[in-house]
Amino acid sequence: MNAPERNLHFTSTNSGELARIVRVNEEIKAIVATAFRINLMALNAIFLAKRAGNAALGFGVLSNELRRFAQDLTRHMASLRDMTSGSVGSVTGVVQQQRNSAILAAAIRLSGDGVPGVREARKRGATRLAEQQAKLRTLDMRLRASVEETQQLVELGGVLARSAKIEAAYGGGFSPALMQVSTDFAEVIAQIKRSLEILGKERLVKD
Amino acid sequence: MKQAHCIYQDDTHRWLAIARDPTKPGYIIDTNEYVVVHGEEALLCDPGGIEIFPAVFSALSAECDPTRLAGIFASHQDPDIISSLALWLEFKPDLKCYTSWLWQSFLPHFGGQDSTFVTIPDPGMTIRLGGLELQAIPAHYLHSSGNFHLYDPKAKILFSGDVGAALLPPDHNELYVEDFSRHIRHAEGFHKRWMGSDRAKRDWCERVSRLDIDMMVPQHGAIYQGADVQRFINWFAALEVGVLRG
Repeated sequence: MNAPERNLHFTSTNSGELARIVRVNEEIKAIVATAFRINLMALNAIFLAKRAGNAALGFGVLSNELRRFAQDLTRHMASLRDMTSGSVGSVTGVVQQQRNSAILAAAIRLSGDGVPGVREARKRGATRLAEQQAKLRTLDMRLRASVEETQQLVELGGVLARSAKIEAAYGGGFSPALMQVSTDFAEVIAQIKRSLEILGKERLVKD
Repeated sequence: MKQAHCIYQDDTHRWLAIARDPTKPGYIIDTNEYVVVHGEEALLCDPGGIEIFPAVFSALSAECDPTRLAGIFASHQDPDIISSLALWLEFKPDLKCYTSWLWQSFLPHFGGQDSTFVTIPDPGMTIRLGGLELQAIPAHYLHSSGNFHLYDPKAKILFSGDVGAALLPPDHNELYVEDFSRHIRHAEGFHKRWMGSDRAKRDWCERVSRLDIDMMVPQHGAIYQGADVQRFINWFAALEVGVLRG
């Protein structure tokens, strides 16, 4: 019997990879939003330090640094986003190739291996699939390397937030306000760290 | 079970009908695929959808060497006509797909690249297959706005796409129309609803009346042969089309 086979509905294996890309994208979006928040917080901190005058000179310098950190982080995340956009294309290519190969295999099963041209068609399909999977693995490695770089940058952000807290102690009458701002910085950076940890565990391809 | 039936043979010139599949699930419309073989080359007419590719490939391979496929003729752009394109290209990447120029940028959504498509201009064209000259006959708006039928003057066969289609009950598995009056009842509703233009219908009836046709082979339902061909043309010419009911 050669009616359409139920196994032509290939949904399970690679829909997982698309779902992983969606998760990675969502995490990146969360970090980008947080980086934007740090930028605004740093601007406010700069104004606050100016109002505090000489007592908050150090805090002002650190606020400037935190603002630069937020801008660097935004750039890093934009590059991560580009990578995940590219990987959607690669995963789709793999999904399509796997589906086509599986349907062709079903056709060959029905027709028998003796049909001319089927061996070559299988070989071509396997080569294309291997190429697309290799492309996806390369993207995955680049993504991981980029996440590691971003983690190092965020470590620096953590150090800046801690230093801002120390400087806040010397802020005289503005000390409680500066302390509050530096605590907020530390909390937001901790949140980014958690997101990056999740991102670091995600893989575009199964090991 | 989908099987290829030889409906015409003259030496190496053959027409195969891969028609009627009673084992296919009911939620997919039944389709007929046709293969024109001439010498060392073959042309597949309306290869069908993705879901039925294994059945069509297997039936075709049983009767003809699939590496001889030189091209695919897509009467129009519907999924039951051509959504299996990527799979045929998976098997044979250099296949050419002949279709209306209107669908040149639409069909690549199913598969293929720029070099895959040979576009047919509105007045039609000759398609050469191993020394045989096939004619792409305009059938625009019947039902698609860019629609062609394929005429083989040597075999006197007209592949008529959706024109002549009949949605037969599951127990009607005959390859050829046996009783025109009984058969045409299953074609009436389809033609009234799917064929949208009365003017296009009259043009088509005049055009094909001038052709010498022994067999009219539609994409759904049974094959018309002999006097049933003209009977169909007359019936279609008189039919009110482009209506929801009635």
